[in-house]
Amino acid sequence: MKIVGSLPGSFQDFFINVAGIGRFTSRFFKQLFKPPLEWREVLVQAYQLGYNSLFLVSITGFIIGMVMTLQTKPTMEQFGAESWLPAMVSISIIREIGPVLTALICAGKVGSGIGAELGSMKVSEQIDAMTVSGANAFNYLVVTRVIATTVTIPILVVYADVIALVGSYVGVNIEGDVSPTLFYKQSLDILVYSDIIPPTIKTFFFGFAIGIIGCYKGTTADKGTTGVGRAANSAVVISSLFIFVIDLVAVQLTQLLI
Amino acid sequence: MENSNDIVIDVKGLRKSFGDNHVLEGLDLELHKGENIVVLGKSGTGKSVFIKCLVKLVEPDEGKLEVLSKDVQHLTEEDELNALRRKVGFLFQGGALYDSMTVEENLKFPLKRMPDKPSYGEIDDRVHEALKNVGLEKAIHKMPAELSGGMKKRIALARTLILQPDIVLYDEPTTGLDPATSKEISELIVEMQETYQTSSIIITHDMACARITSNRMKVIRDGVFKYEGSYEELKKSDDKWLMDFFE
Repeated sequence: MKIVGSLPGSFQDFFINVAGIGRFTSRFFKQLFKPPLEWREVLVQAYQLGYNSLFLVSITGFIIGMVMTLQTKPTMEQFGAESWLPAMVSISIIREIGPVLTALICAGKVGSGIGAELGSMKVSEQIDAMTVSGANAFNYLVVTRVIATTVTIPILVVYADVIALVGSYVGVNIEGDVSPTLFYKQSLDILVYSDIIPPTIKTFFFGFAIGIIGCYKGTTADKGTTGVGRAANSAVVISSLFIFVIDLVAVQLTQLLI
Repeated sequence: MENSNDIVIDVKGLRKSFGDNHVLEGLDLELHKGENIVVLGKSGTGKSVFIKCLVKLVEPDEGKLEVLSKDVQHLTEEDELNALRRKVGFLFQGGALYDSMTVEENLKFPLKRMPDKPSYGEIDDRVHEALKNVGLEKAIHKMPAELSGGMKKRIALARTLILQPDIVLYDEPTTGLDPATSKEISELIVEMQETYQTSSIIITHDMACARITSNRMKVIRDGVFKYEGSYEELKKSDDKWLMDFFE
């Protein structure tokens, strides 16, 4: 504690948050196996999170796929490797850009939404009202949302990858004429097991981090409307940071294991 | 008339501090079956903290807290604590209706999470009865955002009473309401107390509400109950500090 106390304020906040998230995560796993699990609420949350993020993920995925193709094309042409363009773009998107970018978008949209919603419920005593009615508020509000983000975000990532490849196809065809069959053959033939499975597994961790951090910041929001704003904002900042850390660890583990 | 078997809440020496701020410094209170006690006190004197300690929303530092013969501080098992909480209704200051649910869903929420959940038909009947009791049957499909302040309080009261608790804790039930609506809510509290045969602790600084609802009043000052008596008795007091409430 003395070491933490001597650090600058922002570092202290960071360590306090990490410790708080650790305790909150441990509570999540204790409650996860405690009936009743609110399955209906899990489905409602998963539907809302997925459906509400679909448009944003589609637009961003399409633009990123297209922009990456357009930016890379001149360099590939210089080296006479234009035919490798679909393969290079698909590997970049599926291994790294698709998962990380989609997770960051969801951290902004879903994480802040959860932080603000639970924050305002905390401030207006709705969470206390659930607790005193004898209901398990943690199960109803936290467990359901964390399961929903953990399951939904990988699905959104896969969807965003597909849309990004569509964007890439459009990018290739702006100044060229490549058939869809040839494009997708060149894009997908290069992919191997290690290009698909590890990046997909890490998206579950991204989803879990977004859910747990959003819920933690929301349920620990300070009193007042500024507290709700701070909860939403810090949910985005901390979950974005966690996404990069998880990504780094996942890449290192993949290189060690495969 | 009153005997110790009638006691539904027994508090002795309750203390609670937040850092250097010593809010409660030894509160004693006995609530008897069927009794309505109004707790009066200036803002920030720990009235809400006191009733939150009774349902373990706030952990007290010290003291004995018995609710329906259960030692609240030693209820460590979540199931036991939740069972007690179902017998103690709590009406929050702002109503605390769940924003994302309709009035009907708000009322069904606690019923659906009871260990011995009633049948769907019984749940519907209880929701309709609760809404009828507060005179808002037509609001069943409305969202909380579509309700006025008074309606929100009525619905919140209906939700509090739907589990048919033995005790109800009211945290400033008339705050933010105009005098006419405030009177209606106060009369409704008395009516509901008679209908459901509950015992109540009512936190307020609305003297009209205190007059209508109280059998007995206790006044917090400097972290302890300094004054006690009926509304009329306290009104006759010549204590300058206490007189300020009645002016």
